[in-house]
Amino acid sequence: MSMTTPRIDSGKLGELATAPDGRGAETVFTVNDLSVTYSGNTALQGVTLEIKKNFVTAFIGPSGCGKSTFIRCFNRMNDLVPGAAIHGEVLYHGRDLYAANVDPVEVRRRIGMVFQKPNPFPKSIYDNIAFGPRILGMTKGLDERVERTLRHAALWDEVKDRLKENALGLSGGQQQRLCMARALAVEPDVILMDEPASALDPISTSRIEDLIHELKSDYTIVIVTHNMQQAARVADMTAFFSVEVRDDGGGRHGILVEYDQTTKVFTNPSDKRTEDYVTGRFG
Amino acid sequence: MARVEFQASLDGLEASLQEQGAVVLRALRGAIDVLRSQDTELCDEVVAFDDEIDSRYHRIEKAIEELLAQQSPVATDLRLVLAILHDSIHLERIGDQCVTIAKLTKLAAELEPRHDLVEGLMEMGERAEEMVRIALDSFSARDVERARGLVELDELIDRTNRRVSDQVLSMASTPGTQEWGMRMIVVSRCIERIGDNAVDIGEQTAFVVTGEFHEFSDASH
Repeated sequence: MSMTTPRIDSGKLGELATAPDGRGAETVFTVNDLSVTYSGNTALQGVTLEIKKNFVTAFIGPSGCGKSTFIRCFNRMNDLVPGAAIHGEVLYHGRDLYAANVDPVEVRRRIGMVFQKPNPFPKSIYDNIAFGPRILGMTKGLDERVERTLRHAALWDEVKDRLKENALGLSGGQQQRLCMARALAVEPDVILMDEPASALDPISTSRIEDLIHELKSDYTIVIVTHNMQQAARVADMTAFFSVEVRDDGGGRHGILVEYDQTTKVFTNPSDKRTEDYVTGRFG
Repeated sequence: MARVEFQASLDGLEASLQEQGAVVLRALRGAIDVLRSQDTELCDEVVAFDDEIDSRYHRIEKAIEELLAQQSPVATDLRLVLAILHDSIHLERIGDQCVTIAKLTKLAAELEPRHDLVEGLMEMGERAEEMVRIALDSFSARDVERARGLVELDELIDRTNRRVSDQVLSMASTPGTQEWGMRMIVVSRCIERIGDNAVDIGEQTAFVVTGEFHEFSDASH
Protein backbone atom coordinates (compact mmCIF):
# COMPACT_ATOMS: atom_id res chain seq x y z
CA MET A 1 0.00 0.00 0.00
CA SER A 2 1.28 3.43 -0.88
CA MET A 3 1.22 6.20 1.68
CA THR A 4 1.73 9.88 1.11
CA THR A 5 3.42 12.46 3.25
CA PRO A 6 1.12 15.32 4.21
CA ARG A 7 2.39 18.86 3.97
CA ILE A 8 2.43 20.24 7.47
CA ASP A 9 2.16 23.97 7.97
CA SER A 10 4.36 24.21 11.02
CA GLY A 11 4.24 28.02 10.89
CA LYS A 12 0.65 27.82 12.05
CA LEU A 13 1.53 25.16 14.59
CA GLY A 14 4.16 27.38 16.14
CA GLU A 15 1.63 30.10 16.87
CA LEU A 16 -0.79 27.62 18.34
CA ALA A 17 1.85 25.85 20.32
CA THR A 18 3.47 28.70 22.22
CA ALA A 19 3.53 27.68 25.87
CA PRO A 20 1.91 29.89 28.54
CA ASP A 21 5.36 30.64 29.96
CA GLY A 22 6.47 32.10 26.62
CA ARG A 23 8.58 29.15 25.52
CA GLY A 24 8.25 28.23 21.86
CA ALA A 25 7.88 31.79 20.60
CA GLU A 26 11.03 31.66 18.45
CA THR A 27 12.15 29.16 15.85
CA VAL A 28 15.53 27.45 16.24
CA PHE A 29 15.46 25.03 13.31
CA THR A 30 13.53 25.28 10.07
CA VAL A 31 13.64 22.09 8.04
CA ASN A 32 12.47 22.24 4.44
CA ASP A 33 11.86 19.14 2.33
CA LEU A 34 14.76 17.26 3.87
CA SER A 35 15.78 13.86 2.54
CA VAL A 36 18.71 11.70 3.61
CA THR A 37 20.30 8.96 1.55
CA TYR A 38 22.93 6.40 2.50
CA SER A 39 24.98 5.34 -0.55
CA GLY A 40 22.08 6.39 -2.77
CA ASN A 41 19.40 4.56 -0.76
CA THR A 42 16.76 6.88 0.66
CA ALA A 43 16.45 6.61 4.44
CA LEU A 44 14.24 9.60 5.05
CA GLN A 45 12.16 11.58 2.59
CA GLY A 46 10.63 15.02 2.33
CA VAL A 47 10.56 16.19 5.95
CA THR A 48 9.39 19.74 6.64
CA LEU A 49 9.01 21.08 10.18
CA GLU A 50 10.16 23.70 12.65
CA ILE A 51 11.75 23.23 16.06
CA LYS A 52 10.80 25.92 18.56
CA LYS A 53 13.12 27.53 21.07
CA ASN A 54 12.98 26.19 24.65
CA PHE A 55 10.58 23.50 23.62
CA VAL A 56 11.12 19.80 24.15
CA THR A 57 10.40 18.18 20.81
CA ALA A 58 10.07 14.39 20.66
CA PHE A 59 10.48 12.17 17.62
CA ILE A 60 8.61 8.89 17.84
CA GLY A 61 8.04 6.08 15.40
CA PRO A 62 8.81 2.44 14.68
CA SER A 63 12.30 1.10 13.99
CA GLY A 64 13.59 2.16 10.60
CA CYS A 65 11.39 5.25 10.32
CA GLY A 66 14.41 7.56 10.16
CA LYS A 67 13.99 9.41 13.44
CA SER A 68 17.61 8.85 14.51
CA THR A 69 18.78 9.71 11.00
CA PHE A 70 16.75 12.91 11.25
CA ILE A 71 18.03 14.02 14.67
CA ARG A 72 21.59 13.55 13.42
CA CYS A 73 20.93 16.14 10.71
CA PHE A 74 20.62 18.85 13.35
CA ASN A 75 24.30 18.77 14.33
CA ARG A 76 25.70 17.33 11.11
CA MET A 77 26.51 13.97 12.67
CA ASN A 78 25.60 12.35 9.36
CA ASP A 79 28.67 14.06 7.86
CA LEU A 80 30.66 11.38 9.68
CA VAL A 81 28.76 8.51 8.03
CA PRO A 82 30.40 7.36 4.79
CA GLY A 83 28.01 7.66 1.83
CA ALA A 84 25.46 9.80 3.69
CA ALA A 85 23.98 12.70 1.71
CA ILE A 86 21.53 15.40 2.77
CA HIS A 87 19.06 16.97 0.35
CA GLY A 88 16.86 19.90 1.25
CA GLU A 89 17.43 22.59 3.81
CA VAL A 90 18.14 22.82 7.52
CA LEU A 91 18.18 26.40 8.80
CA TYR A 92 19.54 27.09 12.27
CA HIS A 93 18.31 30.49 13.49
CA GLY A 94 17.72 31.26 9.82
CA ARG A 95 21.21 30.23 8.64
CA ASP A 96 21.89 27.27 6.40
CA LEU A 97 23.47 24.62 8.64
CA TYR A 98 25.02 22.92 5.62
CA ALA A 99 26.49 26.00 3.93
CA ALA A 100 30.09 25.59 2.79
CA ASN A 101 31.43 28.14 5.27
CA VAL A 102 29.85 26.50 8.33
CA ASP A 103 32.30 24.72 10.63
CA PRO A 104 30.80 21.38 11.77
CA VAL A 105 32.82 21.50 15.01
CA GLU A 106 31.28 24.85 15.92
CA VAL A 107 27.86 23.40 15.01
CA ARG A 108 28.39 20.55 17.47
CA ARG A 109 29.46 22.95 20.20
CA ARG A 110 26.21 24.85 19.87
CA ILE A 111 24.16 21.74 19.29
CA GLY A 112 25.22 19.05 21.75
CA MET A 113 24.20 15.43 21.67
CA VAL A 114 23.54 12.68 24.19
CA PHE A 115 23.38 9.10 22.97
CA GLN A 116 21.46 5.97 23.88
CA LYS A 117 24.32 4.34 25.72
CA PRO A 118 26.15 6.49 28.25
CA ASN A 119 29.62 7.03 26.82
CA PRO A 120 31.76 8.88 29.36
CA PHE A 121 35.46 9.18 28.60
CA PRO A 122 37.60 6.77 30.64
CA LYS A 123 38.78 9.70 32.67
CA SER A 124 37.86 11.36 35.95
CA ILE A 125 34.41 12.85 36.48
CA TYR A 126 36.01 16.28 36.54
CA ASP A 127 37.91 15.74 33.31
CA ASN A 128 34.81 14.49 31.53
CA ILE A 129 33.17 17.87 32.13
CA ALA A 130 36.34 19.93 31.66
CA PHE A 131 37.34 18.23 28.40
CA GLY A 132 35.13 20.24 26.05
CA PRO A 133 35.73 23.65 27.64
CA ARG A 134 39.51 23.04 27.63
CA ILE A 135 39.53 22.17 23.93
CA LEU A 136 37.52 25.29 23.18
CA GLY A 137 39.82 27.45 25.33
CA MET A 138 37.14 28.10 27.93
CA THR A 139 39.61 27.53 30.76
CA LYS A 140 38.84 30.59 32.87
CA GLY A 141 36.96 29.60 36.05
CA LEU A 142 37.02 25.95 35.02
CA ASP A 143 36.34 24.62 38.54
CA GLU A 144 33.27 26.83 38.83
CA ARG A 145 32.12 25.75 35.37
CA VAL A 146 32.43 22.07 36.30
CA GLU A 147 30.45 22.59 39.52
CA ARG A 148 27.80 24.73 37.82
CA THR A 149 27.38 22.22 35.04
CA LEU A 150 27.14 19.24 37.40
CA ARG A 151 24.58 21.13 39.48
CA HIS A 152 22.63 21.89 36.33
CA ALA A 153 22.61 18.20 35.50
CA ALA A 154 21.41 17.37 39.05
CA LEU A 155 24.56 15.33 39.66
CA TRP A 156 26.69 17.57 41.89
CA ASP A 157 25.48 16.27 45.25
CA GLU A 158 26.17 12.71 44.20
CA VAL A 159 29.71 13.25 42.86
CA LYS A 160 31.14 16.33 44.60
CA ASP A 161 33.31 14.21 46.90
CA ARG A 162 34.74 12.03 44.16
CA LEU A 163 35.41 14.34 41.24
CA LYS A 164 38.82 12.77 40.66
CA GLU A 165 37.43 9.24 40.45
CA ASN A 166 36.98 7.48 37.14
CA ALA A 167 33.61 8.27 35.56
CA LEU A 168 33.20 4.63 34.57
CA GLY A 169 32.65 3.85 38.27
CA LEU A 170 29.33 5.73 38.22
CA SER A 171 26.02 3.93 37.77
CA GLY A 172 24.42 3.88 34.32
CA GLY A 173 21.97 6.64 35.24
CA GLN A 174 24.72 8.78 36.72
CA GLN A 175 26.90 8.21 33.64
CA GLN A 176 24.06 9.40 31.42
CA ARG A 177 23.54 12.54 33.51
CA LEU A 178 27.32 13.06 33.34
CA CYS A 179 27.09 12.88 29.55
CA MET A 180 24.31 15.45 29.68
CA ALA A 181 26.49 17.62 31.92
CA ARG A 182 29.36 17.17 29.45
CA ALA A 183 27.12 18.44 26.69
CA LEU A 184 26.04 21.41 28.84
CA ALA A 185 29.61 22.36 29.79
CA VAL A 186 30.33 24.05 26.46
CA GLU A 187 27.20 26.23 26.75
CA PRO A 188 25.20 24.84 23.87
CA ASP A 189 21.96 26.25 22.52
CA VAL A 190 20.35 22.92 21.69
CA ILE A 191 20.68 19.45 23.18
CA LEU A 192 19.85 16.46 20.99
CA MET A 193 19.07 13.22 22.80
CA ASP A 194 18.91 9.93 20.95
CA GLU A 195 16.98 7.56 23.23
CA PRO A 196 18.77 8.88 26.32
CA ALA A 197 16.94 6.68 28.82
CA SER A 198 16.42 3.44 26.93
CA ALA A 199 19.30 1.70 28.72
CA LEU A 200 18.31 2.96 32.17
CA ASP A 201 16.14 1.65 34.99
CA PRO A 202 12.84 3.44 35.83
CA ILE A 203 14.29 5.57 38.65
CA SER A 204 17.23 6.76 36.54
CA THR A 205 14.78 7.34 33.69
CA SER A 206 12.58 9.54 35.84
CA ARG A 207 15.66 11.53 36.94
CA ILE A 208 16.57 12.12 33.29
CA GLU A 209 13.00 13.19 32.58
CA ASP A 210 13.01 15.57 35.57
CA LEU A 211 16.26 16.97 34.23
CA ILE A 212 14.74 17.50 30.79
CA HIS A 213 11.91 19.49 32.40
CA GLU A 214 14.43 21.64 34.28
CA LEU A 215 16.69 22.22 31.29
CA LYS A 216 14.00 23.34 28.88
CA SER A 217 13.86 26.84 30.31
CA ASP A 218 17.49 27.33 29.21
CA TYR A 219 17.88 24.99 26.25
CA THR A 220 16.02 23.71 23.26
CA ILE A 221 15.77 19.94 23.50
CA VAL A 222 15.11 17.40 20.77
CA ILE A 223 14.64 13.81 21.87
CA VAL A 224 14.24 10.55 19.99
CA THR A 225 12.43 7.97 22.07
CA HIS A 226 10.93 4.53 21.61
CA ASN A 227 8.99 5.06 24.80
CA MET A 228 5.76 6.80 23.83
CA GLN A 229 4.80 7.52 27.42
CA GLN A 230 8.15 9.25 27.81
CA ALA A 231 7.35 11.49 24.84
CA ALA A 232 3.92 12.16 26.36
CA ARG A 233 5.52 13.04 29.70
CA VAL A 234 8.34 15.33 28.59
CA ALA A 235 7.62 16.82 25.17
CA ASP A 236 5.80 19.99 24.17
CA MET A 237 5.68 18.90 20.53
CA THR A 238 5.77 15.41 19.07
CA ALA A 239 6.62 14.33 15.55
CA PHE A 240 5.50 10.88 14.45
CA PHE A 241 7.59 9.23 11.74
CA SER A 242 6.62 6.10 9.90
CA VAL A 243 7.94 3.80 7.21
CA GLU A 244 6.70 4.16 3.66
CA VAL A 245 7.07 1.38 1.14
CA ARG A 246 7.94 2.77 -2.27
CA ASP A 247 5.42 2.19 -5.07
CA ASP A 248 7.99 0.44 -7.24
CA GLY A 249 8.71 -2.01 -4.43
CA GLY A 250 12.29 -0.77 -4.48
CA GLY A 251 12.57 -0.36 -0.75
CA ARG A 252 11.26 1.63 2.17
CA HIS A 253 12.08 4.94 3.75
CA GLY A 254 11.04 7.09 6.67
CA ILE A 255 8.51 9.89 6.40
CA LEU A 256 7.06 12.46 8.76
CA VAL A 257 3.39 11.60 9.24
CA GLU A 258 2.23 14.09 11.86
CA TYR A 259 3.75 16.92 13.86
CA ASP A 260 1.68 18.60 16.52
CA GLN A 261 1.38 19.48 20.17
CA THR A 262 2.05 16.41 22.29
CA THR A 263 -1.34 16.59 23.97
CA LYS A 264 -3.02 16.55 20.57
CA VAL A 265 -0.94 13.62 19.31
CA PHE A 266 -1.81 11.53 22.37
CA THR A 267 -5.47 12.50 22.76
CA ASN A 268 -6.75 13.15 19.27
CA PRO A 269 -4.19 12.61 16.51
CA SER A 270 -5.13 13.85 13.05
CA ASP A 271 -3.73 10.94 11.05
CA LYS A 272 -4.95 7.35 11.31
CA ARG A 273 -1.37 6.07 11.09
CA THR A 274 -0.47 8.09 14.19
CA GLU A 275 -3.59 6.83 15.96
CA ASP A 276 -2.68 3.23 15.12
CA TYR A 277 0.87 3.70 16.38
CA VAL A 278 0.17 5.50 19.67
CA THR A 279 -2.67 3.14 20.55
CA GLY A 280 -0.46 0.14 19.83
CA ARG A 281 -2.48 -1.08 16.84
CA PHE A 282 0.55 -0.65 14.57
CA GLY A 283 1.59 -3.62 12.46
CA MET B 1 -4.91 -6.43 15.35
CA ALA B 2 -2.33 -5.83 18.05
CA ARG B 3 -3.09 -5.50 21.78
CA VAL B 4 -5.65 -8.29 21.78
CA GLU B 5 -6.05 -8.38 25.58
CA PHE B 6 -6.44 -4.63 25.77
CA GLN B 7 -9.08 -4.61 23.04
CA ALA B 8 -10.91 -7.39 24.84
CA SER B 9 -10.91 -5.26 28.02
CA LEU B 10 -12.30 -2.27 26.11
CA ASP B 11 -15.00 -4.44 24.53
CA GLY B 12 -15.85 -5.85 27.96
CA LEU B 13 -16.17 -2.37 29.42
CA GLU B 14 -18.54 -1.30 26.67
CA ALA B 15 -20.64 -4.41 27.18
CA SER B 16 -20.78 -3.68 30.92
CA LEU B 17 -21.96 -0.15 30.24
CA GLN B 18 -24.76 -1.39 27.99
CA GLU B 19 -25.74 -3.93 30.65
CA GLN B 20 -25.85 -1.16 33.26
CA GLY B 21 -28.00 0.79 30.80
CA ALA B 22 -30.42 -2.12 30.44
CA VAL B 23 -30.74 -2.38 34.24
CA VAL B 24 -31.34 1.38 34.50
CA LEU B 25 -34.02 1.17 31.82
CA ARG B 26 -35.79 -1.52 33.89
CA ALA B 27 -35.68 0.76 36.94
CA LEU B 28 -37.03 3.64 34.88
CA ARG B 29 -39.84 1.47 33.49
CA GLY B 30 -40.75 0.56 37.07
CA ALA B 31 -40.71 4.20 38.18
CA ILE B 32 -43.03 5.17 35.31
CA ASP B 33 -45.41 2.28 36.03
CA VAL B 34 -45.83 3.19 39.69
CA LEU B 35 -46.95 6.68 38.71
CA ARG B 36 -50.12 5.17 37.29
CA SER B 37 -50.54 2.05 39.44
CA GLN B 38 -49.56 3.64 42.81
CA ASP B 39 -48.28 0.12 43.58
CA THR B 40 -46.28 0.60 46.80
CA GLU B 41 -44.65 -2.83 46.56
CA LEU B 42 -43.32 -1.96 43.14
CA CYS B 43 -42.10 1.34 44.61
CA ASP B 44 -40.05 -0.64 47.16
CA GLU B 45 -38.68 -2.86 44.40
CA VAL B 46 -37.52 0.15 42.37
CA VAL B 47 -35.77 1.54 45.47
CA ALA B 48 -34.09 -1.78 46.26
CA PHE B 49 -33.06 -2.26 42.63
CA ASP B 50 -30.77 0.79 42.90
CA ASP B 51 -28.17 -1.31 44.72
CA GLU B 52 -27.76 -3.36 41.55
CA ILE B 53 -27.22 -0.21 39.49
CA ASP B 54 -24.70 1.16 42.00
CA SER B 55 -22.72 -2.06 42.14
CA ARG B 56 -22.51 -2.15 38.34
CA TYR B 57 -21.22 1.43 38.36
CA HIS B 58 -18.56 0.53 40.94
CA ARG B 59 -17.48 -2.51 38.92
CA ILE B 60 -17.04 -0.37 35.82
CA GLU B 61 -15.12 2.27 37.76
CA LYS B 62 -12.80 -0.38 39.22
CA ALA B 63 -12.21 -1.96 35.80
CA ILE B 64 -11.35 1.47 34.38
CA GLU B 65 -8.96 2.20 37.23
CA GLU B 66 -7.12 -1.05 36.46
CA LEU B 67 -7.16 -0.43 32.72
CA LEU B 68 -5.66 3.05 33.15
CA ALA B 69 -2.98 1.70 35.47
CA GLN B 70 -2.04 -1.28 33.32
CA GLN B 71 -2.67 -0.26 29.72
CA SER B 72 -2.12 3.52 29.59
CA PRO B 73 -4.73 4.10 26.89
CA VAL B 74 -4.27 7.11 24.60
CA ALA B 75 -6.13 8.82 21.76
CA THR B 76 -9.48 7.19 20.84
CA ASP B 77 -8.94 4.47 23.46
CA LEU B 78 -8.45 7.07 26.19
CA ARG B 79 -11.53 9.03 25.09
CA LEU B 80 -13.60 5.84 25.02
CA VAL B 81 -12.53 4.88 28.54
CA LEU B 82 -13.26 8.37 29.88
CA ALA B 83 -16.63 8.44 28.12
CA ILE B 84 -17.61 5.05 29.53
CA LEU B 85 -16.79 6.29 33.03
CA HIS B 86 -18.87 9.45 32.51
CA ASP B 87 -21.75 7.52 30.97
CA SER B 88 -21.73 5.05 33.82
CA ILE B 89 -21.98 7.91 36.33
CA HIS B 90 -24.87 9.43 34.36
CA LEU B 91 -26.67 6.08 34.39
CA GLU B 92 -26.09 5.76 38.11
CA ARG B 93 -27.68 9.19 38.59
CA ILE B 94 -30.66 8.18 36.48
CA GLY B 95 -31.04 5.24 38.87
CA ASP B 96 -31.04 7.71 41.78
CA GLN B 97 -33.78 9.75 40.11
CA CYS B 98 -35.86 6.57 39.75
CA VAL B 99 -35.46 5.96 43.49
CA THR B 100 -36.70 9.47 44.28
CA ILE B 101 -39.68 9.04 41.95
CA ALA B 102 -40.58 5.72 43.61
CA LYS B 103 -40.22 7.09 47.16
CA LEU B 104 -42.36 10.16 46.44
CA THR B 105 -44.98 8.09 44.64
CA LYS B 106 -45.19 5.81 47.66
CA LEU B 107 -45.57 8.79 49.98
CA ALA B 108 -48.37 10.15 47.77
CA ALA B 109 -50.11 6.80 47.35
CA GLU B 110 -52.81 7.57 49.88
CA LEU B 111 -53.53 10.97 48.39
CA GLU B 112 -56.00 11.79 45.66
CA PRO B 113 -54.13 12.16 42.34
CA ARG B 114 -54.98 14.58 39.53
CA HIS B 115 -55.32 12.23 36.57
CA ASP B 116 -54.50 14.82 33.89
CA LEU B 117 -51.22 15.57 35.66
CA VAL B 118 -50.43 11.87 36.03
CA GLU B 119 -50.86 11.55 32.26
CA GLY B 120 -48.40 14.44 31.79
CA LEU B 121 -45.85 12.79 34.08
CA MET B 122 -46.29 9.43 32.29
CA GLU B 123 -45.71 11.16 28.96
CA MET B 124 -42.54 12.76 30.30
CA GLY B 125 -41.35 9.44 31.71
CA GLU B 126 -41.89 7.60 28.45
CA ARG B 127 -40.02 10.28 26.58
CA ALA B 128 -37.15 10.06 29.09
CA GLU B 129 -37.11 6.29 28.65
CA GLU B 130 -36.87 6.72 24.88
CA MET B 131 -34.05 9.26 25.33
CA VAL B 132 -31.98 6.91 27.52
CA ARG B 133 -32.44 4.16 24.94
CA ILE B 134 -31.35 6.46 22.09
CA ALA B 135 -28.39 7.71 24.17
CA LEU B 136 -27.16 4.15 24.74
CA ASP B 137 -27.75 3.03 21.15
CA SER B 138 -26.07 6.06 19.61
CA PHE B 139 -23.08 5.59 21.92
CA SER B 140 -22.76 1.98 20.84
CA ALA B 141 -23.06 2.94 17.16
CA ARG B 142 -20.88 6.09 17.57
CA ASP B 143 -23.76 7.92 15.86
CA VAL B 144 -23.19 11.59 16.67
CA GLU B 145 -26.15 12.86 14.65
CA ARG B 146 -28.59 10.60 16.48
CA ALA B 147 -27.03 11.61 19.80
CA ARG B 148 -27.42 15.27 18.86
CA GLY B 149 -31.14 14.65 18.21
CA LEU B 150 -31.56 14.11 21.98
CA VAL B 151 -31.58 17.88 22.48
CA GLU B 152 -34.94 18.24 20.71
CA LEU B 153 -36.48 15.42 22.74
CA ASP B 154 -35.13 17.00 25.91
CA GLU B 155 -36.80 20.27 25.01
CA LEU B 156 -40.16 18.45 24.88
CA ILE B 157 -39.61 17.08 28.39
CA ASP B 158 -38.57 20.49 29.67
CA ARG B 159 -41.75 21.98 28.23
CA THR B 160 -43.96 19.38 29.91
CA ASN B 161 -42.08 19.90 33.17
CA ARG B 162 -42.90 23.61 33.05
CA ARG B 163 -46.55 22.85 32.26
CA VAL B 164 -46.85 20.40 35.18
CA SER B 165 -45.29 22.94 37.53
CA ASP B 166 -47.70 25.65 36.39
CA GLN B 167 -50.68 23.33 36.86
CA VAL B 168 -49.58 22.35 40.36
CA LEU B 169 -49.18 26.00 41.30
CA SER B 170 -52.65 26.78 39.96
CA MET B 171 -54.21 24.12 42.20
CA ALA B 172 -52.42 25.41 45.31
CA SER B 173 -55.69 26.85 46.61
CA THR B 174 -57.61 23.60 46.14
CA PRO B 175 -57.95 21.89 49.55
CA GLY B 176 -56.48 18.36 49.78
CA THR B 177 -54.37 18.55 46.62
CA GLN B 178 -51.39 20.62 47.80
CA GLU B 179 -49.36 17.76 49.26
CA TRP B 180 -49.86 15.54 46.23
CA GLY B 181 -48.98 18.45 43.96
CA MET B 182 -45.81 19.33 45.87
CA ARG B 183 -44.57 15.76 45.63
CA MET B 184 -45.36 15.54 41.94
CA ILE B 185 -43.45 18.75 41.18
CA VAL B 186 -40.33 16.98 42.46
CA VAL B 187 -41.20 13.84 40.45
CA SER B 188 -41.51 16.02 37.37
CA ARG B 189 -38.14 17.58 38.09
CA CYS B 190 -36.58 14.09 38.49
CA ILE B 191 -37.83 13.04 35.06
CA GLU B 192 -36.57 16.28 33.58
CA ARG B 193 -33.10 15.53 35.04
CA ILE B 194 -33.16 12.05 33.47
CA GLY B 195 -33.58 13.75 30.09
CA ASP B 196 -30.57 15.94 30.88
CA ASN B 197 -28.50 12.86 31.78
CA ALA B 198 -29.43 11.26 28.46
CA VAL B 199 -28.19 14.39 26.66
CA ASP B 200 -24.98 14.19 28.72
CA ILE B 201 -24.44 10.64 27.46
CA GLY B 202 -25.02 11.90 23.92
CA GLU B 203 -22.32 14.52 24.43
CA GLN B 204 -19.88 11.78 25.40
CA THR B 205 -20.63 10.01 22.11
CA ALA B 206 -19.63 13.16 20.23
CA PHE B 207 -16.47 13.41 22.38
CA VAL B 208 -15.39 9.87 21.52
CA VAL B 209 -15.96 10.41 17.80
CA THR B 210 -14.67 13.97 17.33
CA GLY B 211 -12.10 14.22 20.09
CA GLU B 212 -13.58 17.50 21.31
CA PHE B 213 -16.07 18.00 24.10
CA HIS B 214 -18.90 20.47 23.55
CA GLU B 215 -22.21 20.73 25.35
CA PHE B 216 -25.02 20.20 22.84
CA SER B 217 -26.97 23.08 24.30
CA ASP B 218 -26.36 25.84 26.79
CA ALA B 219 -27.59 24.60 30.17
CA SER B 220 -28.34 28.16 31.28
CA HIS B 221 -31.33 28.38 28.90
